[in-house]
Amino acid sequence: MFVAIEDVCFSYTDAKTRALDNFTLKIEKGEVISILGRSGSGKSTVLRLLAGLEKPEKGRLIIQDEVLFDDKIFLQPEKRGIGMVFQDYALFPHLTVAENILFGLFRMKKAAKKKRLQEVLELVELQDFGKRYPHQLSGGQQQRVAIARAVAPNPHLILLDEPFSNLDAELQGKIREELRDILKKANITSIFVTHDEKDAHILADRIVKLKNGRIEFVGRPCDMLDTYRQTGVQPSTDGFVEKSLTGVN
Amino acid sequence: MQHRFTNINAWTVSAVIIIFLLFLPNLTIVTGLFTPSNENWEHMKKFVLWGFVKNSLILTAATAFFTILIGLSLAWLIAQYDFPMRHFLKWALILPLSIPPFIGAYTYHGMLSYTGVIQTTLRENFGMAVNSAYFDIMNLPGAIFIYTMFLFPYVYSIAQVYLSRQSASLIESTRILGKGPWKTFFQVVLPISRISIIAGASLVVLEVLNDYGVVKYYGVQTFTTAIFQSWFGLGDIESSIKLAASLMGFVILILMIEKLLRGRRQYSYSTTKVRPLPLIKLSGWKAAAAAGYGLFILSLAFFIPVAQLIDWTLLTFGTIPMGAFMNYVRNSVFVAGLSATLIIAFALIVGNFARMVRGRLGKLLPRLTVLGYSIPGAVIAVAVVTAFIGLDRFLAPFYVWAGFSTTLVLSVSIVLLVTAYIIRFFAIGYNSIETGYDKIGTDFRDASRTLGLGVTKTFFKVDMPMMKGAIISGFILVFIDVLKEIPLTLILRPFNFDTLSTKAFQYASDEKIMEASQASLLIIGISALAIVFFYKFLERELD
Repeated sequence: MFVAIEDVCFSYTDAKTRALDNFTLKIEKGEVISILGRSGSGKSTVLRLLAGLEKPEKGRLIIQDEVLFDDKIFLQPEKRGIGMVFQDYALFPHLTVAENILFGLFRMKKAAKKKRLQEVLELVELQDFGKRYPHQLSGGQQQRVAIARAVAPNPHLILLDEPFSNLDAELQGKIREELRDILKKANITSIFVTHDEKDAHILADRIVKLKNGRIEFVGRPCDMLDTYRQTGVQPSTDGFVEKSLTGVN
Repeated sequence: MQHRFTNINAWTVSAVIIIFLLFLPNLTIVTGLFTPSNENWEHMKKFVLWGFVKNSLILTAATAFFTILIGLSLAWLIAQYDFPMRHFLKWALILPLSIPPFIGAYTYHGMLSYTGVIQTTLRENFGMAVNSAYFDIMNLPGAIFIYTMFLFPYVYSIAQVYLSRQSASLIESTRILGKGPWKTFFQVVLPISRISIIAGASLVVLEVLNDYGVVKYYGVQTFTTAIFQSWFGLGDIESSIKLAASLMGFVILILMIEKLLRGRRQYSYSTTKVRPLPLIKLSGWKAAAAAGYGLFILSLAFFIPVAQLIDWTLLTFGTIPMGAFMNYVRNSVFVAGLSATLIIAFALIVGNFARMVRGRLGKLLPRLTVLGYSIPGAVIAVAVVTAFIGLDRFLAPFYVWAGFSTTLVLSVSIVLLVTAYIIRFFAIGYNSIETGYDKIGTDFRDASRTLGLGVTKTFFKVDMPMMKGAIISGFILVFIDVLKEIPLTLILRPFNFDTLSTKAFQYASDEKIMEASQASLLIIGISALAIVFFYKFLERELD
């Protein structure tokens, strides 16, 4: 098992209910997982806990046989080797595109840094944009820089928080395809959070549906369709599900 | 049990130490309340205390009333109407803040006195021998006038920004619903801007309670002057502490009233798009009256006193030895620069701590340090001296061992003064830094940490460069406040250590009003530059 999240519980300070209740999930290497849920369902919390930005109340987090969290251990975010793409990208405004990407490569030698920078710029097809500042880029380009920055240090796992929420509808479709290609090309295990079933169906190998901090459903996108058929509830995106099934599986 | 701290590290430890040190001296004041009272205090309580309370009450209430009247009316004119010189008045009306009230006080006294420009002109050019008593400004109403003139920009600037951001549709719908401009003002504008008015007015009130220069010079007895009197006149620090504690109680009462007046009400927009107010163009006598009113207030509060100071400086230039003068400048820049640097450094540590800590504790602890700004300088002076004398006593064996000739080392050094500045002005720097942290949020920090950088490295590579604006503005604000400061500097400075403001104050107190002008003008010049810088800076930020 590559990533193991075991019985993780978490509540925000001063909150009455748990943001996450006995969350358990095992992920294989190279898998793309989508966490689907409404706002407040606890989906972003899963990412923040994995990244080490929040500390669980109890449970266990393991990546590639290394314990990130249990009763005794709490590994700081900078020691975890997990990349994260933030909802609003969080590109450092005082640094250029290249400097943003190099930010996480401080342990590499100079030549290796340069090589890696070129690689990831190519991956996201922004070879000519290294010298620009984030505010000189379009929303879609900014997002690709954020992905490149997160991927550059070769993390074990990459987390994406609502990767499409800041893009307009027209771009969303295009970027979704691009992101799928990038993730598959880089062969990085990834978890992304979304409230949009379309995103989940197109991108994910497996979908985790969260409601009020508890898992409601885990399975392949097509299994989700089956549950809809059984319960008689239609997915919210008409006609899109079939297309996504042929697209992903 | 869940850990409240994401991680306990050097940041947390230093922040807690700073918060503790900033707050500690104020505790000595509270303990002073419970020590047995001596003869002086009994005497004061019986005969004079009520007088201080009454004067302080009248001063604060009247100043609050007049600053709101002038500040709000000007803010409304600027926010709603277009008239000649509006653009100039919009920022120039903040300039009176660059004149410390005590400088305004002695300048007005100088102009209005028997040998001053007004009476002399009347006598010599018009042959009018007027009764000098008509021009006497050195009394309670005079002090109210001075405070109003030099403090109204607090109300004006806050209200003006607030009103300018009001949604046009709000005002327009009032007009469409059939209310004239006056009714609109009283039924809509006044209620919605209540919070901003209270914010401005409470700053004014705290400044008045803190002030020592004006009331001392004009001979009005207040809490602050009484603290000084019992300390230096009677040598009775115990009674000073008791007075200081009463004054602090008074301040806490005001802060509570402010909180109560603000209430739980928070007006916010129900739509995200706020269309700014379109200006109504005034013409004819209305335009002239609007511009005239603004210019009249600005002249009284800035141009006239500054012109007089320039005149006096030209008259006395050269009488003050340049070497000595440069020494005051150096001292001023040194203490202001050092205090501002330390305050910003501490504020960055405490602010970063506040971001890392979750829950109520994280919100409350930093708030404690901000209290210092509402505590009058005289109270802080008493507190810091008491604390430092205690510290020196504690360190006495060490001093003896180290071969010092005295056991009063820290309490007579510049450390004492700088500590007091830090306690008094920490809030100014902290507010700026806190806003900076709020503005950048936590995502950049989190991003940096997921990219492998620890808290400290992240601070230097991400937080600091992104907060450059907040750091610079915080530094400048603290710097000019220290530059203008009077009561703390007067009491706590080391022997023979003079700054621009203490020198200006001393000259004025010795009735060498003209000699005081040179130092005063420099203080005003630096402060005015900073204010203009801020105005332009803020305007750019808002765009």
